[in-house]
Amino acid sequence: MSTPASPRRLIRAWAALIAQSALATALALWGLSAKALAVPILLLAFLKARVILRDYLGLAQAPDIARGFLLVLALFCAALAGLALAAG
Amino acid sequence: MMWVLIVSELAVFGAGLAVFLSVRITDPAGFAAGQAHLHQMGAGVNTVVLVTSGLLAALAVRAAEAGQVARMRWLLAPAILLGGVFLALKASEYIDLFALGIGTETHAFHTFHFLLTGFHAAHVLAGMILLAVVGWIASPRAVETGAAFWHMVDLVWVLLFPVIYLL
Repeated sequence: MSTPASPRRLIRAWAALIAQSALATALALWGLSAKALAVPILLLAFLKARVILRDYLGLAQAPDIARGFLLVLALFCAALAGLALAAG
Repeated sequence: MMWVLIVSELAVFGAGLAVFLSVRITDPAGFAAGQAHLHQMGAGVNTVVLVTSGLLAALAVRAAEAGQVARMRWLLAPAILLGGVFLALKASEYIDLFALGIGTETHAFHTFHFLLTGFHAAHVLAGMILLAVVGWIASPRAVETGAAFWHMVDLVWVLLFPVIYLL
C-alpha cells in the first residue's frame, strides 16, 4: 500500500477533480452530440482517474506501477471512445 | 491484498462499461432516450460529493500515520456522511425512475444503468461500513486499507459517470 500525497497536493488534486467533473458535465449539458462528446469526456475521465491513482491512492510514489496502471487505463478509455464513436 | 481487490473490481466494472457501449451500437436512439430520464446534474453533484469524500479519507490516512487518532476520526466521519449523501441522491433518481414506470426490464439501457450503478451503490455502502470499522480500529494500516477501498469506489464512479450519464 502507498501513502497519499501531502495535504497541499491532495487539496490541489481535489480541486482538479472538481474542475474536470464540472467541465465534463458542462460539455454534456451544452447539448453536443454523443459523437462530439466521446473523446473530450473520456479524456477528462482518464485525467480524473489518473489524479485518484497518483494522489489519493499514492501511486505517485511507485512510478513503475503507476505507469502500468495508467497505460492500461489509457487503452481502456481509448477502447471506450472507439465504441462510443461507433454508436454515433 | 486490497490492490488485488481494486484491480478485480476495476476489471468487473470495466467489462460492464465496455459491454454497455457495445450494446449501445445496436440502438443508439433507444439508449439516448433512456439516458434522458436520468438526473445528469444530480450525478454531477454526486461526483463532487464522492471526490470530496475521497479527499477526506486520504487526509485521514495522513492523520492516522501521524498518530492523530481524533483528527483521523473527525476526517472519516464526514467522509462516511458524504457517502450517505451520495446514496440519498442515487435513491432519489431511482425513485423518480420507478415513478415513471421505468425498471430494469424497460430497455437495455436501464438494465445496464440499474445493474452498474446499483452494484456501485452497494460498494459505496460497503465502503461506508469499512471506513467506520477502520476508524474504530484506528491503526494506520487499517485506515490506509479502508481508504484504498474508498478510492476504488471513487475511481469506478469517475469512469461510470461519464459513460452512463454524459455520452
